[in-house]
Amino acid sequence: MKKINFYFSTKLTFDDYVHEHSFALRVIPPETPTQHIVSCELSISPITAVDHNTDAFGNNVTAGYIKGDHRFLDFEIKGTAETDCTRHRTDYMPCYLYQSAFTKPSAALASFLETLSDDLSEASVSERVQTISSKLSDVFRYQKDVTTSHTTAAEAFETSAGVCQDFSHIMLSLLRLNHIPCRYIAGLAFCDGETHSWIEYFEDGVWKSFDPANDRPVNEDYLVLSQGRDFADCAIDRGVMFGSYTRQLTLVRSVMQQGY
Amino acid sequence: MNENVLRGSADFTEAIGNAKEINELLRRYGVKFGIYKNGVFKEQFFPFDPIPRVIGAEQFAAIEKGLIQRVDALNQFLYDIYHDKKIVKDGKIPEDFIYISSGYLAQCEGITPRNKIYSHISGIDLVQGKDGEWYILEDNLRIPSGASYPLIARELTRIASPEAFRSNNIVDNRNYPDLLRETMDYVNCGGVRAILTPGRYNAAYFEHSYLAENTDSLLVRSDELFVENNMLWHKTYSGQKTRIGVLYRRISDEYLDPLTFLPESLIGIPNLMEAYRSGNVGIINAPGNGVADDKGIYYFVPKMIEYYLGEDPILRNAPTYLPFYKADMSYVLDNLDRLVIKDVAEAGGYGVVFGSDLDSEKLAGLKDMILSQPRRFIAQDVIDFVDLPILDNGETVMRKADLRAFVLSGKTTRVWASGLTRFSRNPDSFVVNSSQGGGFKDTWVRSQ
Amino acid sequence: MGTISIEHGNNLYWLGRYTERVFTTLKALQETYDKMLDGGIGYQEYLGYFDLPDIYNDSKSFFRSFLFDKDNFSSVAYSLERAYDNGIVLREDISSGAFSFLQIAKDTLKGAKGSENTRFALLPLEDVLYGFWGCIADNIYDEETKNIIYCGKSTERLDLYLRMKYPYEEVHKEFERLCIRLGRVPKNTPYRYNTRFLSDLVEIIGEENEYDLKSGAAVASLERLFESA
Repeated sequence: MKKINFYFSTKLTFDDYVHEHSFALRVIPPETPTQHIVSCELSISPITAVDHNTDAFGNNVTAGYIKGDHRFLDFEIKGTAETDCTRHRTDYMPCYLYQSAFTKPSAALASFLETLSDDLSEASVSERVQTISSKLSDVFRYQKDVTTSHTTAAEAFETSAGVCQDFSHIMLSLLRLNHIPCRYIAGLAFCDGETHSWIEYFEDGVWKSFDPANDRPVNEDYLVLSQGRDFADCAIDRGVMFGSYTRQLTLVRSVMQQGY
Repeated sequence: MNENVLRGSADFTEAIGNAKEINELLRRYGVKFGIYKNGVFKEQFFPFDPIPRVIGAEQFAAIEKGLIQRVDALNQFLYDIYHDKKIVKDGKIPEDFIYISSGYLAQCEGITPRNKIYSHISGIDLVQGKDGEWYILEDNLRIPSGASYPLIARELTRIASPEAFRSNNIVDNRNYPDLLRETMDYVNCGGVRAILTPGRYNAAYFEHSYLAENTDSLLVRSDELFVENNMLWHKTYSGQKTRIGVLYRRISDEYLDPLTFLPESLIGIPNLMEAYRSGNVGIINAPGNGVADDKGIYYFVPKMIEYYLGEDPILRNAPTYLPFYKADMSYVLDNLDRLVIKDVAEAGGYGVVFGSDLDSEKLAGLKDMILSQPRRFIAQDVIDFVDLPILDNGETVMRKADLRAFVLSGKTTRVWASGLTRFSRNPDSFVVNSSQGGGFKDTWVRSQ
Repeated sequence: MGTISIEHGNNLYWLGRYTERVFTTLKALQETYDKMLDGGIGYQEYLGYFDLPDIYNDSKSFFRSFLFDKDNFSSVAYSLERAYDNGIVLREDISSGAFSFLQIAKDTLKGAKGSENTRFALLPLEDVLYGFWGCIADNIYDEETKNIIYCGKSTERLDLYLRMKYPYEEVHKEFERLCIRLGRVPKNTPYRYNTRFLSDLVEIIGEENEYDLKSGAAVASLERLFESA
């Protein structure tokens, strides 16, 4: 078990006033067997009334509506959690076995998996996950600004480079092709100054975590914010607003520290 | 005497004699549907045929019983799929058929609408075979349209054919707005009734506005609505807001809430699903129903009836084969030239192929596709369904017709004693879609 | 239902305006035609009221255009199409019955186009419009909704009367009618009058002398009557 202090903030700035702004945040970490949330404080500016719900995937959703003109939306969470790698979650949904919008495999992904078939046959689920991730790291490298948050697994794979979100999507696509139920995780990790993404796969009735972007299992330095079939279910913030703004600037910062 | 034939001196001559006037009046009331032709919006008149379809009391009672049974089972299935998934765990339906269906919406897991009703307004398409038996062709549990047409037509057929109504005990169908209103009020979470339309350029706009008028509901577009404090509100022109308690939405699931479904949807209401999940607004029909009216799932509806209700199905499916099952696969491959093949992934009239229309090369191509993707297709026997008389340039000719029955579920499940009878104008066609130039008839149900 | 959206408010107001424009234009054209029988004035006088250029070969082509040409923004046909467009999205507010009269009006106008005696064929159009207003009066329960349509109707009539230099007495009567309707509009809604422009109108239309001198200014103030203060 490890005690960690976490902080995460997002500043959305628009280049013109917006109004009638509806938003849904998935930013409050869920209480699970692997992480106990000792405290978590959410602040939103402009100050607005929000509602807290839980979605189909077990995520905490913070929904709000800002009617009047404003040019920014800032939100931050601050808190303390205890993470425990020795325990496991079991909240299964059958849809995790099936490809979703971001993970639809291309012929290239399918044939990549095909080249691994000798290594994968007769291996355990965990071994297969490690093998696939390791082989993926050989052909796919970490690079910023070559993909966007809309890039699918198939598109990213074609680019041969991307960020943690792309690693996760490709991994999910390959695992599902290999009939392993798995899901997308959005969260915070010690290694990142922003949000991080990794995956979970289902083996022997429990979820196990793996970080394909770093090609290593997940330890107690990771805090889950949300889970789902892919990025679309886990977006930190989704919003719809009115106004004649043309640009939206997003600044994100996260800090994870050893807690005492 | 065939109970489907009218009694006494009444035949259809009075109706036929007034056909022109009825059509003229329908046009006057704006009974039209919109279509886009070459990118230009046009409103097209929906042709009305004066000769009604008549269904005898005994026969309708059987259909009614069968429809209630079917819709009740479908509602239990929807609840099960979005909760415990017992029917899958018990091996009655292979898991694949649920989760590859585009109608299954994982975002709706765990939501429980009032009384566990998901399909409040079900449009069930039936045909009558030449053997007299009624077969279910399709279930429409998302946003089935069409009730408004026979509803407004009845007002006029009663004027045009007084003798037929006087001597034949035809059940009055003008209670549809009351049924609809009761159904809406049953799921109302506190607030006004509203019907959500994509706007005047939607094909069914007439229906949206006519039903709003007759159920005393607001007719709204998404930009007049917003969600605040987990509740749905209507923006008024004075800057105030009015709470909406039930939303009969006539837009598809995936466009309903851009923060839950397609982010690019411009016709949705952000955070509507949050208000819905919190039990602060009723939505008719429930999002996620597509998993139950999917072409692949259709095969399993009789099994659902046995599984959930412990009853034998009263109404039969058209004989259907799933290449997914080995025995069915060999039957389908051997008989492909006399079957109709439907692509599960396609919607509407698309992806439907009659084996008899294909040459040997195309048949072989289709066989390969079915072999490589067995889950993607279903095959059905072509039902030889009865022709109905229609008036064509002053002459009576026989054409293919189906029946869309409307089943409303709230506290109880009820069948509207009427329905939309659509027919094909083309003598060789089985396609009765209004966009293909087909027309409609009034459907008379006799009370004795 | 007592909850009117901005969009519906707008549609109600313009339904009133365009339906009235159909009616008053039709009347004015009939009157122009009638006067011309005795060889007095020409159709140019009518064009002059609206500062429109004379691009017509003869009076016949003028009348055909102002009655039937949907591309002529000042025609009866054009206004009727706009009334219909506003009506079709208001069925549940104004009733199917009221809406059907707009379709009948379109059919009647179309029928008159091919008729030998256009004036005769157009006579029923007035009846149809009266039928429409009867449905509006009778079928709309919500007074606020109804009053928006009437505000549009009265504004339009006053505007056309002012532009066509109708006699003072008639203009004054229509203005009084408009004021009654304006008085029923709740505060903080889009059809609440702007005090400044209403008082301009009161000043000008209140006195016959003022009216003779300043009817142009009255048209300008009327245009801005619903501007938010």
